[in-house]
Amino acid sequence: MNKLEGLNPGGPISRRAVLRAGSLGFLGITLGRILELEAALSPVKGGPTGKRAEACILLWLDGGPSHIDTWDPKPNSSFKPISTNVPGIQISELLPRMSMKMDKLAVIRSMHTEENNHGVAHHYAMTGHRPSPAMKFPAFSSVITKELGQRHNVPPNVMVPEISASARDYFRSHFLGAQYDPLQIPDPNRQDYNIPELSLPESLTLERIEARNAFLELVDGRYRQAVESTEYANLDEFRQQALNMVLSQSVRQAFDLSREPEKLKDAYGRNMFGQSVLIARRLVEAGSRFVTAYDRKRVETGRNWDTHGTNDKQHKDVLVPVLDQTLSTLLTDLEERGLLESTLVIAMGEFGRTYDLNPGGGRDHWCHCWSMVLGGGGIRGGQIIGASDERGAYVADRMVTIGDLLATIYKALGIDWTREYMHPIGRPLKIANSINDETGKPIEELI
Amino acid sequence: MAGRHWVKGAVLTVLILSLSHRDADSEGVRLNSSGPELVSIRLEPKAVELQGSGATRRFLVLGEFSDGLRREVTSASRLRIADPSTARLGALGQVVSVSSGRTELIAELGGKKAQAGIVTVGTERRRPFSFSWDIGGILTKRGCNSSSCHGGVKGRGGFRLSSDATDAAEDYQWIVRGGGYQVLTAEPLGPRHSRIDLDRPDESLLLRKPSFKVAHGGGERLGVGTADYEAVLNWVSRGAGFEGNGAEGLEVERVEVFPSEAVIEEKGKHQLAVTAYFSDGRQEDITGQVRYESLNEEVVRVGEEGLVEGVGKGEAAVMIRTAGRAAEARFGVIGEAIQEYPEVPRRNFIDEEVFGKLRRFHLIPSELSEDGEFIRRVCLDLTGTLPPPERVREFIGSREEDKREKLIDALLESPEYVDYWTFRFADLFRVRGHYRWVHVYWEWVRKSLAANKSYDQMARESIAAQGYDGPSRIYLIDNNKPPALERIVAEQFRVFMGRRMDCAQCHDHPYDRWTQDQFWGLAAFYRRLTNTDWAFDNVVFDDPDGHEVNFGEGKSTLSFRENRHPRTKQLVPPTFLDGRVLPGRDRRDLRRELATWMTSHPYFAQAMVNRMWGHFFGRGIVDPVDDFRLGNPPTHPGLLDRLARDFQEHGYDLKHLMRRIVSSRTYQLGSRPNANNRGDRLNYSHAYPRPLEAEVLLDAISTVTGVPELYKAEGMLSGTAPSGTRAINLKYPASYANRFLEVFERPKRDVVVARNGKVNLMQALHMTVSPTYNEKLGKEGGRIDRLLQRGASNREIVEEFYLAALSRFPNEEEQAGLESLIQKQSSRREALEDLLWAVICSREFASNH
Repeated sequence: MNKLEGLNPGGPISRRAVLRAGSLGFLGITLGRILELEAALSPVKGGPTGKRAEACILLWLDGGPSHIDTWDPKPNSSFKPISTNVPGIQISELLPRMSMKMDKLAVIRSMHTEENNHGVAHHYAMTGHRPSPAMKFPAFSSVITKELGQRHNVPPNVMVPEISASARDYFRSHFLGAQYDPLQIPDPNRQDYNIPELSLPESLTLERIEARNAFLELVDGRYRQAVESTEYANLDEFRQQALNMVLSQSVRQAFDLSREPEKLKDAYGRNMFGQSVLIARRLVEAGSRFVTAYDRKRVETGRNWDTHGTNDKQHKDVLVPVLDQTLSTLLTDLEERGLLESTLVIAMGEFGRTYDLNPGGGRDHWCHCWSMVLGGGGIRGGQIIGASDERGAYVADRMVTIGDLLATIYKALGIDWTREYMHPIGRPLKIANSINDETGKPIEELI
Repeated sequence: MAGRHWVKGAVLTVLILSLSHRDADSEGVRLNSSGPELVSIRLEPKAVELQGSGATRRFLVLGEFSDGLRREVTSASRLRIADPSTARLGALGQVVSVSSGRTELIAELGGKKAQAGIVTVGTERRRPFSFSWDIGGILTKRGCNSSSCHGGVKGRGGFRLSSDATDAAEDYQWIVRGGGYQVLTAEPLGPRHSRIDLDRPDESLLLRKPSFKVAHGGGERLGVGTADYEAVLNWVSRGAGFEGNGAEGLEVERVEVFPSEAVIEEKGKHQLAVTAYFSDGRQEDITGQVRYESLNEEVVRVGEEGLVEGVGKGEAAVMIRTAGRAAEARFGVIGEAIQEYPEVPRRNFIDEEVFGKLRRFHLIPSELSEDGEFIRRVCLDLTGTLPPPERVREFIGSREEDKREKLIDALLESPEYVDYWTFRFADLFRVRGHYRWVHVYWEWVRKSLAANKSYDQMARESIAAQGYDGPSRIYLIDNNKPPALERIVAEQFRVFMGRRMDCAQCHDHPYDRWTQDQFWGLAAFYRRLTNTDWAFDNVVFDDPDGHEVNFGEGKSTLSFRENRHPRTKQLVPPTFLDGRVLPGRDRRDLRRELATWMTSHPYFAQAMVNRMWGHFFGRGIVDPVDDFRLGNPPTHPGLLDRLARDFQEHGYDLKHLMRRIVSSRTYQLGSRPNANNRGDRLNYSHAYPRPLEAEVLLDAISTVTGVPELYKAEGMLSGTAPSGTRAINLKYPASYANRFLEVFERPKRDVVVARNGKVNLMQALHMTVSPTYNEKLGKEGGRIDRLLQRGASNREIVEEFYLAALSRFPNEEEQAGLESLIQKQSSRREALEDLLWAVICSREFASNH
């Protein structure tokens, strides 16, 4: 009886539970507060609340897509350019669905970075810094999480699906604090998809939670009064948050993909990436600030974007179609829910690929000039920023650095991009760090 | 000049509330009508010998007051010199030599009098000009060469100076010859335009910029007409030489600050006196010519002339920087002086140092820990293991006088000691790597600890490791081959010498004295390091001749790694920190030479005792424990020295060091603060609670619930570790994925371990819903299950939980409260589970205190 399902607003709550809630204040955990929050939380109605973006979805295309086979078609690509719904803008024929959505997206065709290996480039793209032996840098996702704060008890920074520890390092907050690290959740396309940290054990009823708090209050009371530490307040706050999360129906529902119509699941694509992006949308809708949908080596095909061999076949048959379907569905879905204006969508990898094919028919790493797209969140779509030369080899016009990109993203989210954090070792760090430690400049045409 | 004293004196009236010139002559000086009375005064220093023309020295008048506080009262005192033809008074308290002779400085305040002897000699000899000292000093004082400005890694606006004028010769080039500094090459950037103008000295860029005649990002630093401006102008007018006649070989040997430690009240003030000592015996008062910086402005502030002011209670250091030299003074700001200070027993030199400082800082230590508190703390610290309930009962019940000493001895000889310290050192030495040979590394650590091998020997074996020996694996843990030179040198310096040189890899360290030359000089000792291949028998060796080794077709051939200086592109020979190059004849076994040098360097013992101290107290004497650095001074320099000496004199015996620490009363103090020492986090007036390491916490949860954790191997290994295996005993933890350990941030040992121990949201979620915190509670065969089968009463159960988890008996209130709470629940078994959950979630359980 009185299982947690009873906690939804208006649901049956035992009178005793409510009466006792007031006595649990010692540890800062009151059921009363949970109920209040739960009530205040009624499903978030999307819709733009202002000009400013409130959340961000990053489609991380791990390994680096070939820019000339996607957003920057060139004669040396095996694929033809096609026209889009924005006059004058052409993209690769591999992106037919996106061609009808180009008014929603801005393409940057003159990204320039200085790292040509996955690890370092990945680190560079996420932090704006090369790895240093002396310190670790926070990822821009954790900077955004820190600057925007949590909403509606929903984990603010989420990554889906889980990735290896070494790659995870580039997404971490490091000295900013573990609370800004991404919560990693499993592949939502799997049959056994489940988040252990958000699943209450069957036996844990509301009454037992109360009992536990009462016991804890008694057991820890003497020590807490005697011994001073700032840790208690932090722990109590985290416990309150944790309880809010596990008890909150809306939080649990945000992670529950079964609540989505089958048709929409189909539209996103019944694969790891498609369902990950769908979860990302659910989470942002519920209150997350930053969700990374990580297009890692796909379980369905064993492929990622690092196409050193058979580039064309991979791009044509495996990689781009999934991106085309998922990204276009996401934009439509966000728009239909009125969330597009408040949600910044970014799709990028750590670099592009070489402008000519290698002997194995593959394309290798290429950081000197590449493309990425962003839209929603107040970004003016239907624009091309910068240009590559006739082969897509080097920047021909308007070089954009990671620092500039980060400054643009921060600006869209209402974050002061000129901000610096002081690293514990005493070195100031620009949050939008560009080449030569300059501060990145937002791309004015976009916002 | 006397008039000037009284102007300054006005500043001090906040402290010396009713003290005026007139009062100073009357009897019974008080701080205010009811405040403490002045008992005596003295002059510091007591006597000086001033060498050379214009030699100076700063004197301070110190008053002893009836409340036991010593206050600096120079500006309130009347100062005079007995024979003004020998010396005269300069700035506040400053004595300037006039002609050779002998005289006295006399100070008077409130009817008290003090004298100091002054001898002046060689007053015909002027100190020759030195660019390094005279101009370097101005650039430092004015902040031009601070690391946030031209002293930064790349300089500012194309102009770079060495931070705090540590490299005057280079600074001289940039100023006189001009040019922009580049990080990655020694070539100057752009055409060289001198920053001085010999024809029109006042048009020199070096003056126009800081006097703000032209735009200057740093604003006005050197106002026209100031003494420093004139000094620079004068230097340029005279031809801008590097040094005057006779300056060669004349060096500043040291810079000293008085006091090096003092106590003041909130709003209290204390003048500093800074003296430079030259190699020819000359001394100069440079109090007004150095840069001051408070390392904690919430505690003290410091003015440009070296006047320190208490802001809020606590302790902070003041850094003093001048050309190529630095010093620091430590200030305690107290609320109230304690006159009746209790007698505190001392057990060894640790107590002398710690309690001595507590006395000086008017802090009263807490009571000795209770027996339960002590047994839990020392068992966790020495063995990472909770004492079993029966052992706790026995210890608390024992009346033996020396039961604590006996317990310490027993723990140091226990198998758990070897388990725990193997785990700790496996962290420090980063025991990880290929599963085929990680065990030889782990076993080397374990055997070394089991045999209590001396720590210097462990270090030498590690640094100089060759072949297939356990310690050689340190060089293979990243990708089965030796890492880049720069990584090794930075890591070993940090582990064994307690200092972080990492920054100096790419540029001179911006906040410390490490240079890129020193970094690459040390790196050179590792340049022959290589390995055979990443096969089964991966052998580490030094290739003495540098010939290439052919590993067969398709395999890469090895050659020397180049330790070229990234800026000068020169090959750097093996060079010790002091600039001594290892002679060619000694270059047969480079790493052995390095190991010998490192382990005999004073840093070596210091680094280890500080690390150990950090382990037992939750903070290092220098903290973080491996961050000895200018600007991060020790809280107890004397203690650090004595611990290091003691460690060295006892053959780097780790058990001796640990016994020394845990036997001290300081370690054995209770964690409950008293009214006086609440808030102290630096002086060990009471024990500070520390979070348990993830592994120790998990082991403790398993012990208390009576349900062992199962570790399933992944990756190259398979199977499950034997039931009952503890987290601290896992030989290769990376092979055993464990959600609890991940959430509580078990280090991966991919870098030198720094555990932060901070709680986070994931941990809170884990405590609420995870199997560790739920399934273990009621499991069959667990503690609750066994107690119920035995028919234990609620009273007995509560008591056993407390003894097992908290190493103490519950007090009456807890006992009664918990028993009644258990009875109120609908299910007794569930109630007991919920109680046990509360016990393992409590902070008293999750910390060592």
